[in-house]
Amino acid sequence: MDRRKFLQIMGLVSGTTLLSSCGSESNQKELISYLVPPEDGVRPGTAAWRVSTCSECPAHCGIKIRLREGRAVKLEGNPSHPINRGALCMRGQAALWRLYHPERLRTPLLRQGNGYQAVSWEDALDHIVRAMSEASAQQRTNMLLSGSTTGSLAALQERFAEACPVTRLPEFEYFSHAALRQAYQLLYGRPVLPQYRIEDADLLITVGADLLETFVSPAGYTRQLATARHDHDLHWRHIEPHLSLTGANADQRLSIQPASEAILLLWLLQTLADSRRYVGQLPPQLRTALPEISLDRAVQATGLTTSRLRDLANSLEKARRPLLIVGGIATAHGAGQQTALFGGLLQWLLTAPWQGLDFTQAERPERIGDLRDLQQLSDTLRGGAVGVLLISRADPLRHAPGDWKFADNLRRAGLSVAMADIPDATTRAVDLVLPLTHGFERWDDVEPRFGLHSLIQPALAPLHETRSEGDILLQLQQRLTGHSESGNYETFLQQRWRKQFSASARHNFFQHGHVVTAPAVTDASLRIAQTAVVLKQISLPTPLSTPVAVISGSIRSFDGRSAALPLLGEIPDPLTTITHGTWIALSPHTAKQLGVSDSAELRLTSGGFDLAQPARLQPGLPDGVFSLPVDSLISGPPGIDPATGEALRVIGSVKAERTGKQLPLPILSGSPSQQGRGIIPKPIHRDKNHHAEHRALYPEPAYRQYRWAMAIDLQQCVGCGACVASCYVENSVPVVGRRDHLKGREMSWLRIEPFYDDQGQVSFIPMLCQHCGFAPCEPVCPVYAAYHNPEGLNVQVYNRCVGTRYCSNNCPYKVRRFNWWQHEWAPPLDKMHNPDLQKRTKGMMEKCTFCIQRIRAAHEAAAKENRPIRDGEVIPACAQSCPTGAITFGNRLDPDAAVTRIIKSPRTYRVFEGLGTEPAVYYLRPN
Amino acid sequence: MNNNIPVPQVETDVLAAMSRPGYAWLTGFGLAGLLFVGALALWAYQIQHGMGVAGIMHPVGWGVYIANFVFWVGIAHSGTLISAVLYIFRARFRTSFNRSAEAMTIFALMVAGLFPLIHLGRVWRFYYLFPYPNQRQLWVNFRSPLVWDVFAVSTYFMVSLVFFYVGLMPDLAIVARHRGGWAGRLYRVLSLGWSGSLREWRHYDRLYMFLAAFATPLVASVHSIVSWDFAVSIIPGWHTTIFAPYFVAGAIFSGTAMVLTLVIPMRRVLHLEHLISIDHIESIAKILLLTSLIVGFSYIVEHGMAFYGNNLFEMEQFRFRAMGHYSLLFWIMITCNAILPLLLFVQRLRRNLIFLFVLGLLVNVGMWLERFVIVVCSLARDFDPYNWGNYSPSLVEIGITVGSFGLFFAAFLVFVKTLPVLSITELKER
Repeated sequence: MDRRKFLQIMGLVSGTTLLSSCGSESNQKELISYLVPPEDGVRPGTAAWRVSTCSECPAHCGIKIRLREGRAVKLEGNPSHPINRGALCMRGQAALWRLYHPERLRTPLLRQGNGYQAVSWEDALDHIVRAMSEASAQQRTNMLLSGSTTGSLAALQERFAEACPVTRLPEFEYFSHAALRQAYQLLYGRPVLPQYRIEDADLLITVGADLLETFVSPAGYTRQLATARHDHDLHWRHIEPHLSLTGANADQRLSIQPASEAILLLWLLQTLADSRRYVGQLPPQLRTALPEISLDRAVQATGLTTSRLRDLANSLEKARRPLLIVGGIATAHGAGQQTALFGGLLQWLLTAPWQGLDFTQAERPERIGDLRDLQQLSDTLRGGAVGVLLISRADPLRHAPGDWKFADNLRRAGLSVAMADIPDATTRAVDLVLPLTHGFERWDDVEPRFGLHSLIQPALAPLHETRSEGDILLQLQQRLTGHSESGNYETFLQQRWRKQFSASARHNFFQHGHVVTAPAVTDASLRIAQTAVVLKQISLPTPLSTPVAVISGSIRSFDGRSAALPLLGEIPDPLTTITHGTWIALSPHTAKQLGVSDSAELRLTSGGFDLAQPARLQPGLPDGVFSLPVDSLISGPPGIDPATGEALRVIGSVKAERTGKQLPLPILSGSPSQQGRGIIPKPIHRDKNHHAEHRALYPEPAYRQYRWAMAIDLQQCVGCGACVASCYVENSVPVVGRRDHLKGREMSWLRIEPFYDDQGQVSFIPMLCQHCGFAPCEPVCPVYAAYHNPEGLNVQVYNRCVGTRYCSNNCPYKVRRFNWWQHEWAPPLDKMHNPDLQKRTKGMMEKCTFCIQRIRAAHEAAAKENRPIRDGEVIPACAQSCPTGAITFGNRLDPDAAVTRIIKSPRTYRVFEGLGTEPAVYYLRPN
Repeated sequence: MNNNIPVPQVETDVLAAMSRPGYAWLTGFGLAGLLFVGALALWAYQIQHGMGVAGIMHPVGWGVYIANFVFWVGIAHSGTLISAVLYIFRARFRTSFNRSAEAMTIFALMVAGLFPLIHLGRVWRFYYLFPYPNQRQLWVNFRSPLVWDVFAVSTYFMVSLVFFYVGLMPDLAIVARHRGGWAGRLYRVLSLGWSGSLREWRHYDRLYMFLAAFATPLVASVHSIVSWDFAVSIIPGWHTTIFAPYFVAGAIFSGTAMVLTLVIPMRRVLHLEHLISIDHIESIAKILLLTSLIVGFSYIVEHGMAFYGNNLFEMEQFRFRAMGHYSLLFWIMITCNAILPLLLFVQRLRRNLIFLFVLGLLVNVGMWLERFVIVVCSLARDFDPYNWGNYSPSLVEIGITVGSFGLFFAAFLVFVKTLPVLSITELKER
């Protein structure tokens, strides 16, 4: 090529390049532009939030669902929701596990012999319609039994029942609070549970009511208690025969003889009614109708000392705003009716002067029946008078006492249909199973309290061929009667909401997930005459003879309904630290007498009750009391109380013997005692020697703008484990199952350690990576996989890790977790992965990161606006979920940050300070 | 001492040991080889499925694998001690053992070097542990004792190998002279054309002395560094300044015991009674006794420090060792390492071969248990009582451990049939 040719070609090339880059502004196109958002609303890499309502228990807490790429990945409590105010318990966190449960029912299933066969929805509905028509022809009744139902669905059920016609049975809940509601019915004419103004009380006495675990609205009560303890000096006493998490967290726990609560309450009622402060306040008719009881009798029956009883009465008399809450285990025995009644009267006496009860916003369990109703159904079924029995969101088979032979009776129905989301005892017994959509896949609303409407909003399209209960009922109605309220449930809801709420209320409803309409003001005055009549007839109960077995509700599985969620199996029971298993707890002294130790099989018998489970020594449990969670029962409760219809949960005259077998039981705690190590220090532990001056040969890490730190107030922490569940979901921590738990290979990044003192008093401490300033894990890692980042975090570089496990060995807090396997997530559980995190593979170490993905997101947001991260902008998953607000996170270098202020408290300490690790997690010791 | 044996007979006696392998040899080799192959299969299984197949757990992140590592590095020690240190001190009885002790060192180090790899969660990334230039500009953490280990053990292996090989050269020439065919040529090449001239001998002696001097500090350094794997940490029971001398003494103790375990049967099977005399074995027994006293003293010091230190964590740790879940292992360890060897004060027993052989075995058991107790007990009971938990090895770990002995013995059996088990030239000098 000669020079001319070269210049020609060069000219042509550069000319065309220049020309092609010229163009008018109107032709310009952005390559990536979301001026018009994508149609499905999904923006890659950006999280969307939906407000909705949790349906894991009848409390119905408000939640926010975090969506990434169209998949729900995390739940958080809705801070503006009046029930839970941002808190969310571990069962709520586990709702995602229900949504993505690999064993979710996916299609209608029709019984064929002993098995089930998948059928189409059309066939299934036709089948029901045919059976219903047949039943009507044979003069058999069609029935609908559902779990607690409120809001629009309840309205639809009502119309469906009228139109079809179907008998709508009282709703079924195991924790029906029947005795309480009957007492309130008698006292006030309202069969509901009022709002207790815990926040305003200065003395709270709870009798049996496990506020933190299963009583009505645990997350809400926990938050209320924390607020009360934080704002003013609430003194809280809990009275129970066994040891519950609630009792463990009360300021004082009184162990009472089982089933003697009624006597205690009666004595208190009588003493207070005659006391100087309350004299004359109890209507004379009632005072005279009360059975008389002497102090001696009360002492003898309750097992409390004279001074204890006097002190209790005195404190109640002195308190300005005393509040008494009775319920749970105290009303679930033969004397439940008396307990509820005396408790209700005493409650009235104490709260009437300061209006401590609020009936206007009462809980709405009014349609909930009790076990007597279920027994009646069982009898009707046996009589062959039932045509089609529709069971929805309820598991009566699990909770019906064995001697009713409920499953056999169910066979005598023309057709039994269960609507459920995951398999349970009922879906395994019925003729036809209809899979329900999960709450995160459908529109709905609930009204857990009078006037409080809470929105259930879909976060994603249904994963399987499921339908909502509303749609099923509408379609059945359409087929049976030829017409229905509306074409589908969604339009039904829209019509109803339009009718129910004003435009602005509707806006709030969708924006905040709830709306409060003015509830009808109802009369809630004491109905003296009726009460007096009943009081005159009432007899004093005789306490049960020891030893007794107490069946407690479970914070992990509620009444057993959440037991199938693997995440909850993985989180230890707060008191026993048992995962993946059932047990019988007994006091160390009783265990010694019986000659059993942890995981030795123990057999309890009493009348028809017969149960064998591994034993677990439980400090703090009174001698002669066997405490077992409701999941430990293999079939339903041992019996029901005919007076109230509550399940019997306290069984007397129990015979206990060891079988000699050893059953492996995953117990996570290595020691019930902290062995004097000051992990949760008593004030005397704070001597100067614990604060050795730290000298280092290496330069101190220099933090420029941020040093992330966490403050955990142990005074507030109740050990409920909500933070643990939240951490699991946020960080996609693997759920490894029983086999690995037996080996001590749990993967939780955050755990709650209970430590018992010699008196059986328990304190809880959440233990997570302490993000030490001088972290022992960092220098020992040969490959810098554990390294200290400029913001003070101990960062674990997963793909750098070779798996020597030296870091874990050298961690005094033992908070690092090794991936022993390649953890598999059975589809569709893999959809729950947080896409902000790297997936860990086998052979890597992992641990708490202080939710570094949230810190990163805050950094990006702050960088866009060219400002530092604001205090409170980063909230780790654990802190967000904590019902008591015990966890505060922030930048320690910011003098105005909440965490900086909190750690100035004289209660502040750090665990194993003497080691010189300089942790960034500051604990505030309990008083 | 053996001057009464004519020089040519030394040659033939030693070379006779290298005769065609017999039935016993083949059985032994087959068995050892099989164990090793089994261990390899188990390792492959572990890599495939994850470390979960081992028994290690939370909080005991190191178990039998690390105990094995320390054990085998310890075994390696007496080789260097006998060949290098005793050479410098001109201890003549060394000649009877140095070759086999050096071979033992090499093989034990080969086995030991496998265990850090076996215990890695992601062994396929083992090269991250080496400081090699890479485009990601990542470097190893020189503050980590595990990196020191890499250097300490590899240096030790290289020096031991060179020392072994240099000492072997004149003997290889002798073997070459006696062997014809391809084997003879191979030995000739391996001897680097050694002709035995005076000039060669002069250089050789200097080099050997130099290497001995070079290897001597390694005796102290390697096991010191291995002990720092533990001592540098903050775990009660690990974090102690006594560890370096304690581990070195323990290493020599176990290595000497292993020499007795190997040499006493070898001497008999290969008919070397007249070359390895009872006097020589008694000298080894004396080393065993001395190191046993040091090890026993260390045990007392450790527990004494815990007792007087008034450190809650430390006190619980040593109480746990003596009275806790693993107390049986602890007391076996004390008996084997600190009590039974005291019998060596009795001269009759020092010269009783059967007693020495059994004692050697027991000391090996005791020293393995010592490593197990140190590694596992300390982790099982550290600071936070909530985490306490006990570990028991899984079948995979046991299989791999047994297989490591298979590798060691297989290698040793190959050694006795391919190389002169005694230094012919040094025997001749004697």
